Amino acid sequence: MQVYLPIAEMSADALLLVGIGFGVGWLSGLFGVGGGFLLTPLLILIGIPSPVAVASGANQTLGASVSGLIAQWRRGNVDAKMGCVLLAGGLLGSFAGVQLFALLRRIGQVDTAVSLFYVVVLGTVGVLMVMESARAILRRRRSVRRRLHAHYWMHGLPLKARFRKSRLYISVIPPALVGFGIGVLSAVMGVGGGFMLVPAMIYFIGMPTAVVIGTSLFQVVFVAANVTLLQAVQVGSVDLLLTMLLLGGGVAGAQFGAALGTRLRGEETRALLGLMVLGVAVSLLWGLVRRPDNLFSLGPAL
Amino acid sequence: MIARLLLLVAMLASAIAGAAAQEAPLVADLSDREIEVSTGFTGADLLVFGATDAPIGPGGDEILVVVRGPTRPVVVRRKVRALGVMWVNGPAARFSGVPGFYAIAGTRPAWQILPEQERQNNGLGLDALPLVSTGARNPHFRAALLDLEKGSGLWLEDAATVEIGANRLFHVRVPLPAAVPTGDYRVEVLLVRSRRIHARQEMEFRVDRVGAADRIATVAETQPLVYGVVCVLLAAFAGWFGSVLFRRS
Repeated sequence: MQVYLPIAEMSADALLLVGIGFGVGWLSGLFGVGGGFLLTPLLILIGIPSPVAVASGANQTLGASVSGLIAQWRRGNVDAKMGCVLLAGGLLGSFAGVQLFALLRRIGQVDTAVSLFYVVVLGTVGVLMVMESARAILRRRRSVRRRLHAHYWMHGLPLKARFRKSRLYISVIPPALVGFGIGVLSAVMGVGGGFMLVPAMIYFIGMPTAVVIGTSLFQVVFVAANVTLLQAVQVGSVDLLLTMLLLGGGVAGAQFGAALGTRLRGEETRALLGLMVLGVAVSLLWGLVRRPDNLFSLGPAL
Repeated sequence: MIARLLLLVAMLASAIAGAAAQEAPLVADLSDREIEVSTGFTGADLLVFGATDAPIGPGGDEILVVVRGPTRPVVVRRKVRALGVMWVNGPAARFSGVPGFYAIAGTRPAWQILPEQERQNNGLGLDALPLVSTGARNPHFRAALLDLEKGSGLWLEDAATVEIGANRLFHVRVPLPAAVPTGDYRVEVLLVRSRRIHARQEMEFRVDRVGAADRIATVAETQPLVYGVVCVLLAAFAGWFGSVLFRRS
């Protein structure tokens, strides 16, 4: 069933879009991430213009993360204070990111930049995840006692604050910086950034795992909302119909994925997610390195 | 469809009568003055038809039909190797006044029935389009623009031929693909007699978004802030609603 997307100004198969939404939603429910990092490249692959794919991807991520946030909030797994610090950085970051995106669009390098961002970020995160989970699977039998938390340079920074839910007394600068970085990436890549935020919160900030998912969803929801708004106002590339079709499949898929996710072990899930992230990075890298069929491309003059 | 064709025949018959009465060498009309792009739009056909005062076809008059869409500036970019490994957009040429849609059809191709000078002056044919570029000067950019537009189905040269009926009637079906830009279109019908343009008629039609597609695009253009807020709220609502609807525990 063909449907005309008013902002992308093209017609696409509605069932295909709902199907993509369902598949990505299923995986994101399974792994507990927003799934934007899969969605945006898939949309570009089926011929949606990059600006529309990025902006609508952010909008879809917002919708997909809301239901997760509600569930986590009810269970008291959201550190709202930490979330606000992350968010302050995230809002600034997404503002900077949208400016960067608009600049890239003017000089005609959006496609390359988006692909390159994906390759670098997904490649790094994928390798780290696979290595970490492989190590975890190998040492599962041996019980290693970890130190409660290690002190290093980060703990010497000023502006210390107490985060009760996370049981931390640290400077607000590292979380704000993490938030800023994620904000930039989410604006350029059309992702919520959960797959980068979760490891950063565990390993860099040192938050307990229980509150990490909920708090990252808190940040993702608001940053994605901000990116959607900024993209709508500055670039004008959010396609509401596209978002709604993706969400229609996505919210259903997420619930089925989450049901399966509870039956898998943490290390295996993380290893699978890592492999999938790496797979996306490799296919995008191939797209950049391969000699294109047509060296010329056409775009609107801005 | 049958009823529509009958109607067209009736219109043509009266057109011929009118033509004979007024001695107008050429009369033509369009099947639609308004093409509506709704959310279910997958392309449309525009029928251009008419009649002449003398026989058309081999040995007689020839008909050319040109459809031009709204113009916009475009940029053609060429990919180059960067850092020896990957392909990035390099030099670019900016073309202004590029028609978003262009179709030409004739009883025979334009270059066969008109002198070259006449054809170039009137912009009849893809190679006669007045495309002026700034930026990279290489003629490859112009060729690439032609290739890309032809590949997208938005520039058509002799994709269909003008059919002749009963010696003096002609019609041609111009396909408008789903990606057709919205705006004002100009249709030109030319009557070529002994290798000269003997008569011409110009008509206009509009391609407009209607219904939900139109409302979404209009709000997004005129009130981007409101549109952004609506997108955020609707997405959040859909997420919440979905979690209620599909809750599995």
